[in-house]
Amino acid sequence: MNENRRQILEMLAAGKITAEEAERLLAALEDPPQSANSSAGEAATPRSKPKYLRVLVEADEDMTGMKGATTVNVRVPMQLLRAGVRLASLIPAQAHDQLDSALNRHGVPLTLSQIKPENLEELIDHLEDLTVDVDGKEGNKTKVRVFCE
Amino acid sequence: MTPNIAIVQIQSPHWRGFKLWLPLFLLWIPIILLSPLIVLVLLCVCFLGRVNFWRACAAFWAISCALPGTDVRVSTEGNKILVRIL
Repeated sequence: MNENRRQILEMLAAGKITAEEAERLLAALEDPPQSANSSAGEAATPRSKPKYLRVLVEADEDMTGMKGATTVNVRVPMQLLRAGVRLASLIPAQAHDQLDSALNRHGVPLTLSQIKPENLEELIDHLEDLTVDVDGKEGNKTKVRVFCE
Repeated sequence: MTPNIAIVQIQSPHWRGFKLWLPLFLLWIPIILLSPLIVLVLLCVCFLGRVNFWRACAAFWAISCALPGTDVRVSTEGNKILVRIL
């Protein structure tokens, strides 16, 4: 238990403060760290921009049918992703519709024309640490971890 | 900065494998020598594809400059493949 919290409870037990005062003091104790985390904390320590996108895949032998575990470890520079998005913007507008419909046919509901570098930044912001566990048909597991570093 | 060296390493349980250092910076020599031809082909492709030539060049340049730092490692059944671009 926190030392300050213990002191407040001791004061309450000793009758030095009322229950309402104790409640207020406890609330005051809890508030500063939250506000520090949300605003001042972020301002004081700006989050460093991630440089690489890392994809780790671990598949057991039941999944792949190969002896031993299969691991794939890919590190892609973020700049390459940004450049890729810029390259995608070069695709002629006429081709966008065809590509979108082809992607939709294969179960990827994606609109290429809407992919912009800003979307990538937004994605990176949310891609703190993503772990995907893939369950196979016979209970075998594949672990896919995608994160930025 | 454009990629200077690519490292390709292949290991297998049956043989020792090898580590290949590919000096990508040497590619500048044929690229510079063939640059008139490359520019001509690019211009034709951009014209046919109705793409802005400068935007296409900028996109390809951005991709080649972003390649250093790429690292791909795959291992399965005791075989290991590593590709790094420096």
